[in-house]
Amino acid sequence: MDFQSMLSLSLPIGVGIAAIGSGVGLGRAVGSAMEAIGRQPEASGKIQTAMIIGAALIEALTIYALVVFFILQGKIG
Amino acid sequence: MVACYLQTLCLGVVKWAPSLLAVATGEGENGGEHSGGHEGPPHLPNLIGLITGGHGWAAEWVNIIFAFSVSVFFIIVAGRVYANRKLIPGPFQNAIEMLVEGMYNFLRSVLGKDARKYTPFLGTLFFYILTMNFLGMIPFGHSPSTSINITASMAICVFIYAQYTGISRLGIVGYIDHLAGQPRNVISWCLVPLLFPMHIIGELAKPFSLALRLFGNITGEDVLIAAFVALGLSALGFIGSPIGLPFNIPFIFLGILLSTIQALVFTLLSTVYILMMLPNEDH
Repeated sequence: MDFQSMLSLSLPIGVGIAAIGSGVGLGRAVGSAMEAIGRQPEASGKIQTAMIIGAALIEALTIYALVVFFILQGKIG
Repeated sequence: MVACYLQTLCLGVVKWAPSLLAVATGEGENGGEHSGGHEGPPHLPNLIGLITGGHGWAAEWVNIIFAFSVSVFFIIVAGRVYANRKLIPGPFQNAIEMLVEGMYNFLRSVLGKDARKYTPFLGTLFFYILTMNFLGMIPFGHSPSTSINITASMAICVFIYAQYTGISRLGIVGYIDHLAGQPRNVISWCLVPLLFPMHIIGELAKPFSLALRLFGNITGEDVLIAAFVALGLSALGFIGSPIGLPFNIPFIFLGILLSTIQALVFTLLSTVYILMMLPNEDH
């Protein structure tokens, strides 16, 4: 297996693995936030703000994988 | 709906024009810049690229041209509203005031009483990023935030502004004290060699994560829309139709959602970085 087919095989798998991790993390974070809003609906504004910050930080990890994908995509040829 | 069809149509024009040209001039198939498979992700054609034909300085500066037109648009709108401001606002002034006040109320829920000072910078950032993200979904538009240089420059602005805020609000000594983790007793003084490099690395990592997040999200979204436009074109390609099936309509709605969230996240994280530099917090 040469270098290019290895890249074209492994890059999408890498992004997929990163997406699995960040999907699990986002599911936990958003689920807990929804539970908290259900328990205390009057605090929903603050909980939403904190949830969006956390979701952005979690999701950034997948985006790093996507950026690596974009960088290495030119080498596939 | 109309926008989607226009977008599909314009990709069709650009996709078929080089091959027609090649057939006409008998040059064989070296393809256009959009039909090759090895030039990276698919792009939708934009206005500057169509005018210049993908050559010259304007085609290389396309992100900067679009970003500058967004800022010139905002300068003109804000200047007009500010010059013609009245105590009893007209409909246009009312709309702008609604946007600004909404931004102020949102920032006040995070920053508290300091929100008034930082609303101009952060609010401008939000509307600028939002407009730049939406440009990618307008036919013949191109969103400048798909270039990492544009997002990195905004992230560096936020970084410098946050450090400036920290130094001016805490003083030089207070700023270094903040970076050292505010040592007050023996144990926290022992932790200073550990905490000081960690805080510096943390501060330097913030602009990277801001820039890469916006760049990756918006690029991913635009590539997704372009890929589905190309798929819709190839679905009708066997009859040679220049107009494809509108497969990209659901992704336009996803793109609107994602653009808004990313603009909000960039602003919110900048707000939090500035908030962490303010003296009135207790952590």
